[in-house]
Amino acid sequence: MFEIIKSGTQFDFVRRRHLFAGVSLALVLLTFVLFFTKGLNYGIDFTGGAEVQLHVPTTWDIGKLRSELETGGVPSAKVQQIGLPEESQYLVRAQGDDQSLSRVSQTIEAVLSKTLKEGEFEILRTSVVGPAAGESLRTSGFLSMLYALVCILIYVTVRFDARYSPGAVLALFHDTVITMGVFILTQKPFDLQILAAILALIGYSNNDTIIVYDRVRETLLLNPKLSIEESVNRAINETLGRTILTSMTTFLTVLALWAFGGKVIEDFAFTLMVGIIVGTYSSMFIASSVVIWMTHYYARKEASASAKAGGSVGSAVV
Amino acid sequence: MGRSWWVRFGVVVLAVIWSTIYVIPTVGRLDLEKTNFPFKQKINLGLDLQGGLYMVLGVDFNKVFKDVVLRQGASLVSELKDEGITIKSSGVVTQSVSSAVETASAVVGADAAQDPLYFVEFDAAKRDAVYDLMKKRFWTLRLAGESEGRFELGLSREYRLETREKTIGQSIEVIRNRIDEFGVSEPVIASQGADRIVVELPGVKDVNRAKDLIGRTAKLEFKIVNDEGMEAGKVRELVAQAENEKGISYKEGDKFSNYVRAINEALVGKIPVDSEIAFDRLDGRVAAESGETGVYIPYLLFSKAELTGEELEDAQVSFDQENRTPIVSFQMNPRGADLFDRVTGEHIQDRMAIVLDGIVHSAPVIQSRISGGRGQITLGAGNSERQMAEAKDLAIVLRAGALPAQLDFLEQRVTGPSLGQDSIRKGAMASLVGSLLVFAFILFYYRLSGAIAVLSLVLNVMFVLACLVGLEATLTLPGIAGIALTVGIAVDSNVVIYERIREELRAGRGAASSVEAGFQKAFRTILDANVTNAAAAIVLMMYGTGPIKGFAVTMLIGIVTTLFTAVFVCKVMFDAYLKRLEKNPSAALSI
Repeated sequence: MFEIIKSGTQFDFVRRRHLFAGVSLALVLLTFVLFFTKGLNYGIDFTGGAEVQLHVPTTWDIGKLRSELETGGVPSAKVQQIGLPEESQYLVRAQGDDQSLSRVSQTIEAVLSKTLKEGEFEILRTSVVGPAAGESLRTSGFLSMLYALVCILIYVTVRFDARYSPGAVLALFHDTVITMGVFILTQKPFDLQILAAILALIGYSNNDTIIVYDRVRETLLLNPKLSIEESVNRAINETLGRTILTSMTTFLTVLALWAFGGKVIEDFAFTLMVGIIVGTYSSMFIASSVVIWMTHYYARKEASASAKAGGSVGSAVV
Repeated sequence: MGRSWWVRFGVVVLAVIWSTIYVIPTVGRLDLEKTNFPFKQKINLGLDLQGGLYMVLGVDFNKVFKDVVLRQGASLVSELKDEGITIKSSGVVTQSVSSAVETASAVVGADAAQDPLYFVEFDAAKRDAVYDLMKKRFWTLRLAGESEGRFELGLSREYRLETREKTIGQSIEVIRNRIDEFGVSEPVIASQGADRIVVELPGVKDVNRAKDLIGRTAKLEFKIVNDEGMEAGKVRELVAQAENEKGISYKEGDKFSNYVRAINEALVGKIPVDSEIAFDRLDGRVAAESGETGVYIPYLLFSKAELTGEELEDAQVSFDQENRTPIVSFQMNPRGADLFDRVTGEHIQDRMAIVLDGIVHSAPVIQSRISGGRGQITLGAGNSERQMAEAKDLAIVLRAGALPAQLDFLEQRVTGPSLGQDSIRKGAMASLVGSLLVFAFILFYYRLSGAIAVLSLVLNVMFVLACLVGLEATLTLPGIAGIALTVGIAVDSNVVIYERIREELRAGRGAASSVEAGFQKAFRTILDANVTNAAAAIVLMMYGTGPIKGFAVTMLIGIVTTLFTAVFVCKVMFDAYLKRLEKNPSAALSI
């Protein structure tokens, strides 16, 4: 039997929970600060604008393409080379009003065909999003993240109980925020695909959390005398092998997508890679810590409630 | 082997046979036209994989509501006149002078532009008579504001809703007709939300032409030129004056219709109330919204359209007798022909403007009454090739009918065919590499049990593909990523089960009972974990469109097939493995 984590391993995760919580809190706060100072680099899906992926002869360099587009009147274009140099592919981002954006691929085509023959260049992909459409996509996008979190909150509350659900949702919130923080730092364009990847992560990361929770519940059921700290620690340790294995296999597939999947889904895969790491961490350290706090909170509440109830029952008997 | 095992095994075998049949045409790249293979259905590729045009169009309802309230108001006025009630004046409200009665709160989130009003001014003594007639016969209108001898009318909530639905429905119909003429296989045209239309044209080659065809309103109107109200020179003067005073100008890239609207707004009060300014653009006439500048001649037209393109029966490309340039000739339906006959009879020696999408194409003098309902539209200048293309497209849009509203392009995404091919290749490659890495890892870690897991993963992918074919779902590039991710996540279910089995073994149980307990205890965990995954995927499916929806769909399908393979198929294989193990007591469970 080959084991990554030897059975019977007992890391004391719980003892350090305040440290982890502190680190996570700092990261989340940092992301918020970055969000309001540096800001996300929204892709055209959310800001409106045009994005054109094209291929020109290898004899052209980026400067040549840039100057050709500029003289050809492509509105405020940014040019960036993508992929391998021998593929000679470029991404052109343009801003402008509705009308000029709507005709941006025609304009570029006209510019290129002035100097190039048909077949020497190719417009591979065009995306044009009107500013109004971008704004509504952004609103509904953030709303959908909220809906996903609420759905999961309800599900976890029903399947487990109110001691568990805040931790699950907090962990997901943590994952979402930190993944977005990475996007703020790297200034990679944040677009619809990235949002989709984050939604997928919400599902995936919660998957991890559920498995730890399930084990916590089972441990508590089998050993009623065990403290919540002890049970959580045991649960995390017992599922540690599984957590690492699964994260690793998922990470491997996403890594392959990132490396071989092509430009179109590169950032999508990148988001998943970041998210898997953050999500695995949060399931082990954040979600379960919150369960400990919530358990104590409810225990205290119950104690004070029963103290009160006891008093009133007593008086009723009298 | 027990009977129950054989039944379960049978289910697995059936599932494998079924999915193999479904997957063969896709994976084997069979030519569905020629092949003898009995099952003729392939996986639907999304626009990002096969190339094509995806568009989201927004309907400009403000204009629609304005037209509708104008029409309703005008027919109220004419009924009032029939009843002998004199109307002092009427028209679209530009500035409200009345106190609000039924406020726009009847209309959710409406501002002035979204809730145009129509006013009627009448003898204050007749107020109740006017009110009664309106309430009785015009459920379409509501009294939005009132002052002494004046009503301001807006559209009723019900009628707004009806107008909305009708406009969207008609727009979809018209777009479909135009695309049918264009010849695209399996186009998708559907409404999205309250005011949007999504158009998907797979594999379309001439994207620009498709866009022009779909986006053009193609509203054909016949209006009489108001030469009596003002002479042509004076009209030109007024326009120049308005341009100078208000700083209105037409720039390349703007919407020409915005310029026309600005001019008309600037001239309110200077031109007769029942008239409007329209322009003849001497070049680029057909592409009314295109960004070309040129000479344009203003006309003062009566606002009322005597006849519209709705009365058109047919339109065709033909050639001008004199200079052999292409023109579009049309034939009206009998009702239109009658109307045309009457109007031309009433307006001999007047000029009649042929207006297409707000642009005057020609304004010939009516020499005599015209019967039979035939006419022609001349096209702009340009080389004959371009004229011919314009004529063809104009004939198509006239035949297909006008869009009931102006459509704005909100989103356009075009994927070229070569990028699509490239994406398929790269996506498949990446998925394969990812899967192989996972397989190798699982084999190394779990040995023979790992082999069972790998087999179940392979089946899982096959089931996902078969379900995509069977459900006629669309495979997109993120969808391919979704399949790869399904493999990664499906492993989780195997791992959860296997780690359980290992625990049971460590606790000293026998192989058979460990396997049994492992599957049983892991089931609830796996179910819980997958349900939350599914919840996220469902939200994503509702939010996303196009490629992203494809991702959500594959994820969802993957979750279902994972439950089936990891829990059911794997157990069948494990039972067979255990049976063999029993015959060889010295061997331990390889896990």
